[in-house]
Amino acid sequence: MNDRVAVTAAGVISAIGAGSETFGCNLESGRSASAPSERFPGVTVAEITDFNPQPWLGAKGIRVLDRSARLLAVAAKMALDESGLSQENAETGDPNLGLVCGTVFGSLHSITSFDWSGIEEGPAWVNPMEFPNTVINAPAGQAAIKHKLRGVNSTVCAGLASGLFAIHYAAEFLRFGRARALLAGGVEELCEESVRGFAKTGVISRSGVARPFGVERDGVVPGEGSALWMLETEEAAADRGRTPWLEVLGFGCAQDAHSINGFDLRGEGATEALRQALANTGISPEQIACIVSSASGSRAGDEMEARALERVFGPQLPDVPICAPKAAFGEVMGASGAFCALVAGLSLQRQAIPPTAGYASDSVRLQLSPAGIPISGEYALVNAFGCDGNNASLVIRLWEN
Amino acid sequence: MKRVVVTGIGVVTPIGSGRETFWNGLLAGVSGIGPVTSFDTSAFPVHIGAEVHGFAPEMHLRRLNPATTGRASQFAAAAARMALADAGLDPERLDRKRTGVSMGTTSGEPVYIEEYNNIRKAEGADAIPGDMMPRYPCHVIPTHIAMELDIHGPCLMIPTACAAGNYAIGYGFDVIRTGRADMMLSGGADAFSRITYMGFSRLGAIAPERCRPFDRNRKGMVPGEGAAVLVLEPLDKAKARGATIYAEVLGYGVSCDSHHMTAAHPAGDGAIRAMTAALKESKVSRDDVSYISAHGTGTPTNDRVESLAVSTLFESRAREVPMSSIKSMLGHTMGAASAMEAAACSLALSTGWVPPTINHEQPDPEYDLDYVPNKARRIDPRIVLNNAYAFGGNNASLCLARHED
Repeated sequence: MNDRVAVTAAGVISAIGAGSETFGCNLESGRSASAPSERFPGVTVAEITDFNPQPWLGAKGIRVLDRSARLLAVAAKMALDESGLSQENAETGDPNLGLVCGTVFGSLHSITSFDWSGIEEGPAWVNPMEFPNTVINAPAGQAAIKHKLRGVNSTVCAGLASGLFAIHYAAEFLRFGRARALLAGGVEELCEESVRGFAKTGVISRSGVARPFGVERDGVVPGEGSALWMLETEEAAADRGRTPWLEVLGFGCAQDAHSINGFDLRGEGATEALRQALANTGISPEQIACIVSSASGSRAGDEMEARALERVFGPQLPDVPICAPKAAFGEVMGASGAFCALVAGLSLQRQAIPPTAGYASDSVRLQLSPAGIPISGEYALVNAFGCDGNNASLVIRLWEN
Repeated sequence: MKRVVVTGIGVVTPIGSGRETFWNGLLAGVSGIGPVTSFDTSAFPVHIGAEVHGFAPEMHLRRLNPATTGRASQFAAAAARMALADAGLDPERLDRKRTGVSMGTTSGEPVYIEEYNNIRKAEGADAIPGDMMPRYPCHVIPTHIAMELDIHGPCLMIPTACAAGNYAIGYGFDVIRTGRADMMLSGGADAFSRITYMGFSRLGAIAPERCRPFDRNRKGMVPGEGAAVLVLEPLDKAKARGATIYAEVLGYGVSCDSHHMTAAHPAGDGAIRAMTAALKESKVSRDDVSYISAHGTGTPTNDRVESLAVSTLFESRAREVPMSSIKSMLGHTMGAASAMEAAACSLALSTGWVPPTINHEQPDPEYDLDYVPNKARRIDPRIVLNNAYAFGGNNASLCLARHED
C-alpha cells in the first residue's frame, strides 16, 4: 500500500474567478460573487456569468457537453496542464490516470429537459444525442473522453460532503495502487430546477448576503463551478520529478441518519467526522493551524457546525483562525468540499487564511475575520457538513520530503 | 488488511423479493419481464419491461414514511432490512457508528423529475411544491437506508450508472478492509422510469419481446427495476458470531473506456482492463476463474464486445469458463443490476450452482462461448468474476471466492 498521497496541481472555475491564482486573490480581497441572477430572475446566486469554455476546451466537440460537463472539463484541463499530465498529444490516454467527481444535482437540467421534450414532442421525437447526458456520471464520463482519462472513473454523491468524499475516495484508490494519478473534486451547475428547488425550500438568503455564523444570517447563496485537485502517489510524483504541493491526510465521516433535508442540530455526525479526521491523522486539535468551514449562512447548518467545533476544540476554539468561504463563491453543493479544500491548501501556502465575506461582528464564538489572518502551524482542517446528514472532515498539510 | 465476506443478501427484484425466491427463480429460469404497467407505452415502439409487482413498502419500512420516500429508496431500505434478517442480525442491536451504507444507482429518484414536469405541464412551474427537488438527488438512497436502520457509519452513493452496484460493493469492501467500519450494507437500487425507458427506446436498444443475451437473434435489453443489498463484514467478526458466509470478496477493478458515452470500446479495451485489474488485486490468475457473471444486456453490441473481451483475456480457455447473464430473467435493473448479480455470484459460490442465460436458442457464430444456455448447472465454482459496464465508459469487475479458511 502506498501511504502518502500528494496534491500536485489544482484546477478551479468559480463565480469568483477561474484558476487557483485568481481564485485565491479574489478570496483575499474579501469580495463576494453574490448578486441578483441574470439567468434566474428574482434570486440571488453566485453564478459564473458569461461562461465560455472555449479558451480551455476549444470549439471542437463541446456542443454535446452540458454545463456541468463543461465546468468539470475546464477545471480538469487546468489541473492536467498544471500537473504536466495532459494527454493532449498522446495517441491513447494513460490507463493509470483517472477522475473522481463529487456532485449532487449533476445532470439535473439535462434529465429534466430530456423528459420535458418527451412530454412536449412525444417519446419518438426526443433527441437521442441528449440521452447520454441524463446519467448522473455523465460529466465525469464526458470529461474522460475529452481529456483521454482511461483510468479509474467514478462519480460519488454524499450530498454537500461529496467533494471531500471524492478526494478521500481518490486518495484511497491511489493507496491501493489502482491508479497513479487521479483528478478529484466536484462539480455543480446552477440550473432552473435546482434554483427553483432552493428558492421554494426557503433556504436562500432573502437579504442576498450570506453571513456565515452571523446572528442575523438568513440563508445561503447558491453557487456553481468545479474544483479539482490532481492527486498522485508519492512515487508517481517523484518519478516525474515533481515536488508536490500538499499532502492529503486523515479523513472522517459520519451520517446523522436524521433527515434528507434538514440539519441535525445535535451535530453528532459532524463531531464524529472531526474526531476521526484528527485521529486518522494522528494529531490533536491544538495542532490545527486553521479551519475552512462548511458554514454557508444557513441558520441551522452554521449552528450545528459551531456546536461540533466547540465540542472538539473546547475553550481554545476562539484562538483558531477560521474562514467560511462559501460567502464568497456560494454553496456549491457537491463541489463545496473540493472548493473548501482548495481554500485550505492556498491558506497553508500563503500562511494566512482569507477573510470571510459577509463577516458579521456578532459571530463572536469563532475567530472569523473581515481581513486575512496570519496562521502558523502545519495542519489545515476542512469541513463539509450537509443538510442531508452526511458529514465529512479532512486534514491536509504542505508537502514535506 | 482485513478479509471481507458476504454474510447477508436482501433483494427486491422483478422475479420476487428475498434471497430464496430470487435464487430459486434464477435457477428455474423464471422471467420477470412483461408488459409495462408503470406508465402508458402506447407512444413507444416497445412495450415490455422488468417491473417489480406487488411491492408493499409498508410491509418492510418501520421508520421511513412511504408517502415521502421515493421508490428506489423504498426498494433499497426493504432490501437492507431483508439482508440484515438474512444475516441473522437484529437491526435494533447494530453497532450504529461502525455500520455504514454504500449504494449505486443510475437515476436516483427520477419520479420527482417526472412529477416536476407533470406539474409544470398541467399547472405551471409556480405550482411545483418546494419539498420535491430535495427528494431527487441520488444520495437520498443510502441516506434513507441509514435513517431506516438508524446507522451512522460511512454513507455514500456511487452513481456510476449501470455498473454502480459493483462500484458500491467495492467501496464497502474498501471501507471494511481498512477498518473504517465493521459492517457495510452495499448494493444498488433503481426505480422504473419513463425517462430511462424513453432514452433506451429512442436509442433502439430495447428488445421487442424477450431478452436473449448472446443469442444470434438478440434484439436488445429490457429496462428493469429493484434493489439488492449485501451485508459485508470482516471475516474474523463474521466467524466470531457464527455467521453463514456466502462468499469472500477478493477485490475489484475499474477502468474507463474514454471512448464514447454510450457505446462500448469496440475492442473491449476498458472491459479487459477492469477484469485484469480485478484479478490482479485479488491475487488470482485467469486460470483460477470458474464462472463469469456477464454484464450481458442483450444488445447486439454489448454482448459482442463482452464476448470479445472475455475471449481476448482468457484466450484458449475462454470456452471453458461458463458465463451467464441473469439479465435474461431480471431485465436490466440499471444501478441495481450488478448488485443483484453479485448476490447471484455469492449464492453460486455457496450452493455450487450457476444460473442460466434463458431465451438462448441460436448460438452466435461470431462468439460461441459457454453461456450456460437455458438450464442451471452445478459446477461448484471457486472463483468468479462479476462484470458491469456503464454509460460514461465506466467499467467495474468484482472478484468473489468461495469461502475457505
